[in-house]
Amino acid sequence: MKKSGAGVLLACWECRGALAGVPPAANHFCDQCGKVQPLGGEADYFSFFRLPRRLGLDPAQLEKQFHDLSWKLHPDRFHQAGDYERSLSLERTAVLNDAYRTLRDPVSRVEYLLRLEGVRKDGEVKQQAPADLLEEVFELNEYLEELRAAKSAGGDARALDDLRHRLEKTRAAFQEKLDAVLAELTAQFSAWDERGDRAALVRLSEILNRHSYIRNLVRNVTEELES
Amino acid sequence: MGRIIGIDLGTTYSLVAYTEPETGRPRCLPDEEGRTLVPSVVSLEESGAVVVGWPARERLLRQPERTVYSVKRLMGRGRADVADELKLFPFRVAPGSESVIQIDLGGKVFTPPEVSAFVLRELKRRAEKFFGEEVTRAVITVPAYFNDAQRQATKDAGRIAGLEVERLVNEPTAASLAYGLDKHQRALIAVYDFGGGTFDISILRLEEGLFKVQSTNGDTHLGGDDIDNLLLEKVRAEIRTRFQVEVADDADRYQVLREAVIAAKHELSEKEHAPLRFALDGPSASFPSTPLRAGRASRGEYVRELTRAEFESWIAPIIERTLAPCRMALKDAGVKPEQIDEVVLVGGSTRIPLVRRRVQELFGRQPHTELNPDEVVALGAALQARILEGGLKDMLLLDVTPLSLGIETMGGAVAKIIPRNATIPASAAEMFTTYADKQTGVEIHVVQGERELVRDCRSLARFTLRVPPQPAGLPRVEVKFLIDANGILSVTARDLRTGEERSVEVKPSYGLTDDEVESMILESIEHAEADFAAVQLLGARNEAETILRATARALTEEQARELSGDERRQIESARAALEAALRTDDYKLIRQRLDELNQATHHLAELLMDTAVQTALKGKRADEVKL
Repeated sequence: MKKSGAGVLLACWECRGALAGVPPAANHFCDQCGKVQPLGGEADYFSFFRLPRRLGLDPAQLEKQFHDLSWKLHPDRFHQAGDYERSLSLERTAVLNDAYRTLRDPVSRVEYLLRLEGVRKDGEVKQQAPADLLEEVFELNEYLEELRAAKSAGGDARALDDLRHRLEKTRAAFQEKLDAVLAELTAQFSAWDERGDRAALVRLSEILNRHSYIRNLVRNVTEELES
Repeated sequence: MGRIIGIDLGTTYSLVAYTEPETGRPRCLPDEEGRTLVPSVVSLEESGAVVVGWPARERLLRQPERTVYSVKRLMGRGRADVADELKLFPFRVAPGSESVIQIDLGGKVFTPPEVSAFVLRELKRRAEKFFGEEVTRAVITVPAYFNDAQRQATKDAGRIAGLEVERLVNEPTAASLAYGLDKHQRALIAVYDFGGGTFDISILRLEEGLFKVQSTNGDTHLGGDDIDNLLLEKVRAEIRTRFQVEVADDADRYQVLREAVIAAKHELSEKEHAPLRFALDGPSASFPSTPLRAGRASRGEYVRELTRAEFESWIAPIIERTLAPCRMALKDAGVKPEQIDEVVLVGGSTRIPLVRRRVQELFGRQPHTELNPDEVVALGAALQARILEGGLKDMLLLDVTPLSLGIETMGGAVAKIIPRNATIPASAAEMFTTYADKQTGVEIHVVQGERELVRDCRSLARFTLRVPPQPAGLPRVEVKFLIDANGILSVTARDLRTGEERSVEVKPSYGLTDDEVESMILESIEHAEADFAAVQLLGARNEAETILRATARALTEEQARELSGDERRQIESARAALEAALRTDDYKLIRQRLDELNQATHHLAELLMDTAVQTALKGKRADEVKL
């Protein structure tokens, strides 16, 4: 396990029994009395699920863990418990849901890992058009402008349809690029997972920028087409 | 800890249900007449007493200015939000209603949570009567698409009514629980919930008792009410053209017309045609049980036959508005319509054949309609209540937040911190610092919505984060936003330098403060006694009026000639005494005089073989007697 903080020794708030071997985030319950345990500071989503900090993971396995923990931790299961344990259940279930939401999606999983590893800061996303896409992006923006102008001018239906059609085609082309970027992203996983290669993290960060740029582009076009 | 009841607090009707611990089966609690529905209508008597449910609905015709309905549409909203509603609904909004609407009811002012609290208290009483003990805990359902302020307002209503709201459950999710879908199956379910005032669509994945909501969407201002308003508008226009009469000018008649179009709407769910008759000059509003008699009409009667085809062509655009949210929800869940295994219909408006057809077309399968669409949500609430009591351990609901949570950043933009359709409870932590030296406060503005600019989203709350005066950028305060299992936000802040943690007092943009709710609870306790008297008074009055009419009629019958002069005089004096008692607000006195008249007419009743009159005179319930 990478940087798991193994060896932390804590005691259960209820029975004072020792909690050991895993970071506090993964100590969901006391082995002896079964009470829910506090998170103990910042919870790292990987260690919450007792997973190593790796990008490749089995989605079915993660989902199964999510279900098992939901059954055990959800506030509904502690409605008759004392106030303190209820608050722990709420806190832990919120993190369970946040962690599952973050880790199940490859893009947010990479983003999260990059932040954990200090490669990216919060909310730091470059919104520059990637150089090799400049031409296509320029064309796309032109179409978008034309469509907006035509819409507000209430232009004739045929011209509008034609514009929509062209935009539709460009969107499909960008969607393909988006899929390709996603494949590129996952192709980098092993470099980090197997060798702990930090240079891979920097490459992942760049691919992520490219991905979020194209994703926004596709989203904008979709919005314009559907409105 | 006491039992927990399940409540469906609806736009048009509300219900209360519970789950039998032994069998695990939920059931709705009926009134003495066997009705499970309670109209969500509240009327304020001149005496200051509050009337709720069926008697209040009757008052809608007699005293529209003292009666309010569909108040759910106003929950958690400000004046500016409801400008459109106000054109269509007879809400009288008092001045100074910017952040919390104040409804004028016969000269007194109430907030929407207070009005809803009257309905909740009626349901609470019904449950208490059933169990023979006090009930103080409830699960209440809300439309899945309700925002934070609307949820908070519902919770406030519960507190005002003396109910601890143990959980708010989304209506479509509750319905899916109730639907008795085989818990062991794995299925993808779409719940289409089209009620009186709101529309919700939820996509759920059911896996071995785990009900996981994948996505939800909807419109909190789209429902059967809108269909009623549309029909009313069409008919009103026709009357204007045909008779040069503006029905809306007469509040009483307008209410009568509303009832008529609603009746036609209901009929068209069963038949191809529905007659629509409306006397322009109706009977006096003080005799609500009298059917419309056109005899005295001077301006005539509007008569028309409405066909289902015509009805459908009118309402098609409204039904169409439910389909965009459906497509959105499917997209967010990442599924195609044909992947949906089961479709469940909820809400009274799903009785409309056109709705069923459109839903079937969209999902390509026959929707489930086995359960009463009016009751299914309350049944689900009762099941959730049982789960919280510690029973039904093989069921668990994982719901989502319908709207993204964000905070305002530079230039009025929104930074999303919890996305829509995130499973709740959910949380997010954000770091804040200062921009100027010795700055002591950081303004934080929390919003809900999908748009990128603050002005296009719903403002939830603003608050000032206190920081110690230090050089710019030095303070580091972590603010944690937590959406709990009710879908309600709470905020805590932690100073990372001192480790000091504190809760943040959040003033809601649209809603009541804790102190305001507290004071309303007290007021409602003071009202409780008066309310009881009001209900008694109403019952006694209705009964007295029925007996008086029955007596008057009986005296004109052939058989009445056999009465002795003495008997006749006794009846006359008992009648006069009852009529005098009716002019007071003293229900005990009315009851007493009623009994006396009953006794005086005993022989008369025996003389009459007319069974209807006889039952009336023997003191059967007023509305069972046909006059």
